[in-house]
Amino acid sequence: MPTTAEPVLATVTGIVATELATSPDTVDPDLDLRTVAGADSVKVLRMIARIERAYDIELDDEDVFTVTTVREVTAVVERALSGGTAA
Amino acid sequence: MTAPAGENTSPDSDELLTPWAVLDDYQCFGCSPHNPHGLQLRFRERPDGLAASFRLGRAHESYPGVVHGGLVGVICDETMGNLLVLRTGRPAFTTAMRVRYLAPMPVDVAHECRARITTELPAADPPGSGLPANGLISAEADILNAAGDLVATARATYRPVDLDAARDRIQLSDRAAGRLADALTAPAAPVTTPVPAAVPAAEES
Repeated sequence: MPTTAEPVLATVTGIVATELATSPDTVDPDLDLRTVAGADSVKVLRMIARIERAYDIELDDEDVFTVTTVREVTAVVERALSGGTAA
Repeated sequence: MTAPAGENTSPDSDELLTPWAVLDDYQCFGCSPHNPHGLQLRFRERPDGLAASFRLGRAHESYPGVVHGGLVGVICDETMGNLLVLRTGRPAFTTAMRVRYLAPMPVDVAHECRARITTELPAADPPGSGLPANGLISAEADILNAAGDLVATARATYRPVDLDAARDRIQLSDRAAGRLADALTAPAAPVTTPVPAAVPAAEES
């Protein structure tokens, strides 16, 4: 699990970049993931699965299927880590 | 599983016998080789856990050409559960499981389920025989296609139970329980090892 000192945004960005086979530097946290070439719904779900695994959390589908950007994903993860939907 | 429905594929020679193999009429839907309606999963060791290779056919469909999602859960549960049995030497009952479906699983295509234990087990002799204070062990499973893409992930919690206590919940004759107790505490055997003479699970003792 990432350390608490590691910003969630950086970790999420890294996971997204890995799934998209690109460098984290190229991932705009405010870009709508649905518009990224190659980022189909399956890849987005795989990102979510890897993020859940990394943080040992279970995100609600109401969140998973509504977030569109890395920054929004990060907010959902931070909420779960603070007690919202963490397993 | 019967041939028309597809067949499980574990071509490696390092397949393991689960302890249940000493019961010649055990009918586990997931892993018994005796249940013609079951999945007949076979397992092999991995450095971090257990794996099962499989290929499900049209008899296991939901939508045309797509494996039924419930069976995806069965496979994850079987692989995690048998991993716990092999590691703890105890029957393990599932207390909760969550599956995240990432992509439809096509029929007649090879996949692999990989399970690992995520709970740190206390040091014990033999290794794995110790249980956490709350008696619960968590595990994770991934199902991947031949390209290595994730198709589904699962996480579950299990309660391993001493065989004597488990006999309140499962039907075993005294003789079958004795054989199973020996098998549970023995190192996992490869399938090339002759199986001890099996006994029916609920035979008169």
